[in-house]
Amino acid sequence: MADADEDVIPRTGPSMEDIDLSDETQDFRFLAALSAEDAKIPKRGEKDFEPHATALQSNTLAASRQAMHNALAFQRIHQPKHHTIAHYHPETNMAYAYNPKGPLFTRMGQILPAGQDPLGEERRGHRLWLLPEEALYLLERGTIDIRWPATDEELAAGEPGMPMSLQGGHAVFIGDEPTHSGALTYERYSVFSALKRQGYTVLRAPTWDSAGPPLTEANYPPRTSSSSLLHPSRLWTLLFAPALTPNTTSLPDTSSLVQPGLYRSYPSIYARLALIPFHNTPAITHPPTPTTPSTDPAFRITYHVYKPGSTTYKKSAPGAPDFRLAVVNGRETAVPTLEQLGALLETAPWDPPAEGGQLYGRLRWGWKNVVLAIVDQGVTSYLRVGDTVFGRERLFERVGRGPGAKRGGRGGGRGGRGGGRGRGK
Amino acid sequence: MASSSAAATVAEPFPIFTVAHKYILYDVDTVSHARAAHNITGVLIGGLPQAPQQNVFSGIPLELMPEEARLLVEKGVAYLVDDVKAHKDGVLGGALAPEERRAFQNALRKHGAAAARDAERKMEERKKGALEKKFGSSDWNDIPEDMLLSTGKRGAKKGKKAGSRTPVPNSAAASGTATPAEEVESLFTPVEAGPASGPPKTGPPRAPSVASSAEPTPFAVTPATSTPPLNPIPPPPQEELPLPDVPSSYPLFKHLHEKSYFMSPGLRFGCQYTAYPGDPLRFHSHFLCSGMGWEEEFDLLDIVGGGRLGTGVKKGYLIGGREPDDAGQEKGVRTFCIEWGGM
Repeated sequence: MADADEDVIPRTGPSMEDIDLSDETQDFRFLAALSAEDAKIPKRGEKDFEPHATALQSNTLAASRQAMHNALAFQRIHQPKHHTIAHYHPETNMAYAYNPKGPLFTRMGQILPAGQDPLGEERRGHRLWLLPEEALYLLERGTIDIRWPATDEELAAGEPGMPMSLQGGHAVFIGDEPTHSGALTYERYSVFSALKRQGYTVLRAPTWDSAGPPLTEANYPPRTSSSSLLHPSRLWTLLFAPALTPNTTSLPDTSSLVQPGLYRSYPSIYARLALIPFHNTPAITHPPTPTTPSTDPAFRITYHVYKPGSTTYKKSAPGAPDFRLAVVNGRETAVPTLEQLGALLETAPWDPPAEGGQLYGRLRWGWKNVVLAIVDQGVTSYLRVGDTVFGRERLFERVGRGPGAKRGGRGGGRGGRGGGRGRGK
Repeated sequence: MASSSAAATVAEPFPIFTVAHKYILYDVDTVSHARAAHNITGVLIGGLPQAPQQNVFSGIPLELMPEEARLLVEKGVAYLVDDVKAHKDGVLGGALAPEERRAFQNALRKHGAAAARDAERKMEERKKGALEKKFGSSDWNDIPEDMLLSTGKRGAKKGKKAGSRTPVPNSAAASGTATPAEEVESLFTPVEAGPASGPPKTGPPRAPSVASSAEPTPFAVTPATSTPPLNPIPPPPQEELPLPDVPSSYPLFKHLHEKSYFMSPGLRFGCQYTAYPGDPLRFHSHFLCSGMGWEEEFDLLDIVGGGRLGTGVKKGYLIGGREPDDAGQEKGVRTFCIEWGGM
């Protein structure tokens, strides 16, 4: 849980809008403002430095606590008009509902194909199955009313089963997962529900509870690598410094790095100084035999996440996700090793930075990326990990694209029209 | 089921429910009680059903750190309950007597009826308020009939004229467009679908006895806790669950808690706990804490990193550990606070 005091960190990049209000314990007295005017997020409340035993302070604290209590005591009631009943299915640890209404169900739940529905074919097309995390999220949200299986007596009396409480939902959907060899944990559920609350569409990834399918072409750079030679910067290299790379490698150890000769530009000299080998992700190609990823179970892609408001998303064909997210237990794991992180990134799809983008942006984006959600006792931090190849971003080739040439572009060069610099004289 | 506005008194020891190696509280009174009486805040990990699309405010349930759960159990104010087993035995396994089930269902229905009446009353008040604002009068008789119909946008309600002020039509308008009879049906139709374990039920749904023509249909209620119908009791000593496993920083946690600091998880600040001088609702934290073994060797850079970060956010970086007892003499926990001098 963070604190308002983090303001005093000298912030150069992020502005005040970037502050995550959910970082810290917010004063529940502002919740009323939130529910009344919906979208408005409350301003951070004023806090005190330390207790000073004044009546004002203790009264404010009491008011905050009471507001919190009231907010937490909210009861989940189902108006008859919006009442959706779902049934718990103990054998699969899932829940099902018949033709549930509401926009939430366009992004959640699935109708199982013929032959796979545990309840057989009767009304199969109307039966929407909810995964444990989906059922629990909807229960917690007060959207559905899940019923325990009815006893014989209740059946005889024509009553539905007992309503499942929130506590009961947690006990079975998360607590009973091990007996169903399910992989839902509290960490995964907190991340799922937090993202859902923000409007994201969250699906289980194929690597949810196993190493997943073998790596495919999508995990590697496309094979048309020769075309990259035609990129402007490459072309330039070709024209002015032919046979540049071979020269570097074929140099005998004893000779000087930059041998006497005619050099027309610095890049040809710098290129000879580039001696240190580096991990070149874009140069790794798809092996002829499919390899199974060797990921550590603690670091695997857990969810595929789609941005809110996507109009192209369809339940039957979700398409490529916007983010791939790995949920990590912050208490039981340490910082991932290079092997763990490398294997994890291997399973991420090929996602190169924008061609010709800003250097910093390209470096930040990386060639493959994955989002880590690290959960420490219910508090989640999200980190984006990118596979960045610094060795490919050759600073010495970026002539004319430095900070001074931002406006003029390449044509500016020196002494062009970009007069701002010379005016001082 | 806690719906009261004021925190009810909580009998100690209270149950802490263990689910999937976590320690969870579901009862709002217990949550408030642990906060007020024992300085235990935990982390709210649920959503708020009244504000479901935000993450600024969280709701029930409350997750306790293992340290917090252990502290409460060691103090004797709480006991652990295997909640998965309780539900599987009680609700799924049939350990719960049919009378108890029925009593629970009836109690819920009563609750739902109260909620429905409450909703109806609120709707009524809102309508009255709106009319008053618009026409400066709360008497519907003064208002032309066509106005009421257009603002109510309930064309189906032909029977509802301005003059009729009996509760029946108003209640229908309040709880939606459906008439009470329809509502009863919609509430109980899913019975026909049949629950998971039994064959599809074909008998006619039985209307609940409380739904008379004068009463609105009871709302369905999803309770937050399973008490009732399950009533956990403190186990006898031989059946107690083992104490929660805690990291080696527990002595420091306990020490600071004894000094009436509020502790919460601190991974976001690169530490184990953030310590607050009072309730985090009201105060900023003072320290970023990391527990250490007394003889543990650590990197000097940790001090630099922790100290820089702590000072940067106006907090102290605090490390501490338990000093080994010296020839029967108990030494206890010692803490050290590191701040950047900024000379």
